[in-house]
Amino acid sequence: MAKFLLRRVVQLVAVLLAVTFLAFSALNFLGDPLVNVVGPLAAIPDCDLVEAGLREDTFSTAGNIGDCEVVSRARAQYNLDKSVPERYVRWVGDLLTGDLGSSFQTGLPVSEIVREKMPKSLLLMVMAEIVALAIAIPVGVLAAYRAGRRLDRVTSVGSFGLLSVPNFALGVILLQVFALRNRLLPASFDDSTLWTRLHSLLLPSIVLGLGIAASYQRLLRTDLLTTLQEDFVNMARAKGMPDRHVMVRHALRPSLFSLITLFGLNTGALIGGSLVVERIFSIPGIGSEIVTAVIRDDFPVVLGAVVVIATGFVVINFLVDLLYTWLDPRVRVS
Amino acid sequence: MIASVPEPNAAIDGAVEKKLGWAFWLSVAWIGGLALAAVAAPWLPIKDPDVLGAAPRAGLFSDNLLGTDALGRDVLARTVWGARISLGVGSVGIILGLTVGGTLGIISGYFRGVVDQLISFVFFSLLSFPSLVLALLITATLSRSFWTVAMTLGILGIAPIGRLARATTIQFAEREFVQASRVLGAKNGRIIVRELLPNVLIPMGALTLLGMGISIVAEGSLAFLGLSVEGDAISWGKSIVDGSQVRDLTENAHVALVPIVAMFLTVLALNFAGDRLREYTDVKETAF
Repeated sequence: MAKFLLRRVVQLVAVLLAVTFLAFSALNFLGDPLVNVVGPLAAIPDCDLVEAGLREDTFSTAGNIGDCEVVSRARAQYNLDKSVPERYVRWVGDLLTGDLGSSFQTGLPVSEIVREKMPKSLLLMVMAEIVALAIAIPVGVLAAYRAGRRLDRVTSVGSFGLLSVPNFALGVILLQVFALRNRLLPASFDDSTLWTRLHSLLLPSIVLGLGIAASYQRLLRTDLLTTLQEDFVNMARAKGMPDRHVMVRHALRPSLFSLITLFGLNTGALIGGSLVVERIFSIPGIGSEIVTAVIRDDFPVVLGAVVVIATGFVVINFLVDLLYTWLDPRVRVS
Repeated sequence: MIASVPEPNAAIDGAVEKKLGWAFWLSVAWIGGLALAAVAAPWLPIKDPDVLGAAPRAGLFSDNLLGTDALGRDVLARTVWGARISLGVGSVGIILGLTVGGTLGIISGYFRGVVDQLISFVFFSLLSFPSLVLALLITATLSRSFWTVAMTLGILGIAPIGRLARATTIQFAEREFVQASRVLGAKNGRIIVRELLPNVLIPMGALTLLGMGISIVAEGSLAFLGLSVEGDAISWGKSIVDGSQVRDLTENAHVALVPIVAMFLTVLALNFAGDRLREYTDVKETAF
């Protein structure tokens, strides 16, 4: 077990390094962070020559010596005068101390922005998972219990259809029906009290949760159908256990295994979905923050937020993996 | 499930008669018809999607069959023209994903060893990003033309497609017909192209349809983040965003609803056809 654990931890660290490096280089090679700090001044052609002392006259077209100082100060401040690999190493070093740099636009530390915005997004995702489980488990159990009958067919077609509805489409439709036409639920986020927070996140979490519920329900149904063929289920039946007891106590429990794996896999879709749903329901979470930062070309905020999200995703999948191994010793062998 | 269960005695007869079913062909017809309409959009008898002339926010079945949006533009025309970009970025993206992901996957699965470890690690790293976050990372700093958005969607496809191609290649690489070919003196390139590629391509057919659906939805998600194709280009995602302003949703929800229905039907058709095709081509389900 210790050896297994060690191997997994090494793998985790390697993937985290790869993920941070990919994110860092994507933003650095595809765009020029200098442009984000000083705007069009970054395009002044001769600044390098001035800095090197090769040219001392003022420019006529793009800017003047004063602008060059702005540019070189910005370069020094944000380490943009270093090479990309060197900056990456420095950046990872800062990252390990919890320093994600500070916003080009507002100067606020990115870690503070993340700390402020993240809880709202997390709350939304947790509520979505609760909604999904609350729908998927009963519907999945009923569908498996009535396999091949009308109820099963209706829910199967329903969940297949639901999987083809993009979450933003569902968001727009539910927003129209439940928040705008009938004012049953709030259309946007209200941060005043805990109750308003939960209340205003209810509709968005239903939007996110329904799609996940459909995939959970499908898996749970198939899994239950297999489990119901097992001898121990027949045994329980033969002993005269009531159907409800057999379904919930005997069959459901082993079938929840695979739900754990799907939970890990679904987290990526859940994060992506919450980015979009936050936009539709004006929730000031990390997703909205990233989008604003992208529009404003605020490089450190985009990078910091993306890295935090990707790290969370990798770590969740790592934990799911461990949990699964712990629950099912057969996995350890292979 | 709706899928037909093979008759018990059919297996004894040696071959199970498999059919794709009418719903599969209906899905294909919808996708085909839509693609045709998208290509032929400039010559179809529909209004100009960019003309602001008509009364804004007109309802269904007015002068404009499916009404107009907040700027008085014809919703039907915009939906047909939107199919050009939505289906366009979707198909270019999936072709890119198939080419790059498929090639890497086959190389990785055939040669194994260090190459395999390296490529698999790249796949694993790409999959460590939630896909929309990865898309955001790529499009954030680029100017967003048709081709950059299509390329982004393609990159999202590389890792999942590559993994399937790798798994399929491994499954076939040690089979007798491949060994026979090797014994006969075939070089690696020939074995890959003549023996492995045809077998890897079979599961790719279903994946192409499913992946295209995912790409179309991803374009919509990018549109909601303000990261779809820039400028006047019309896509379904952008049309849905346009119609999702609070005033439009309360007064004339059809502006958002028409492209939503178009996208839903298309994704449903792609998912259904992909699912059926996968069942149809899955060798495990054939009796032998």
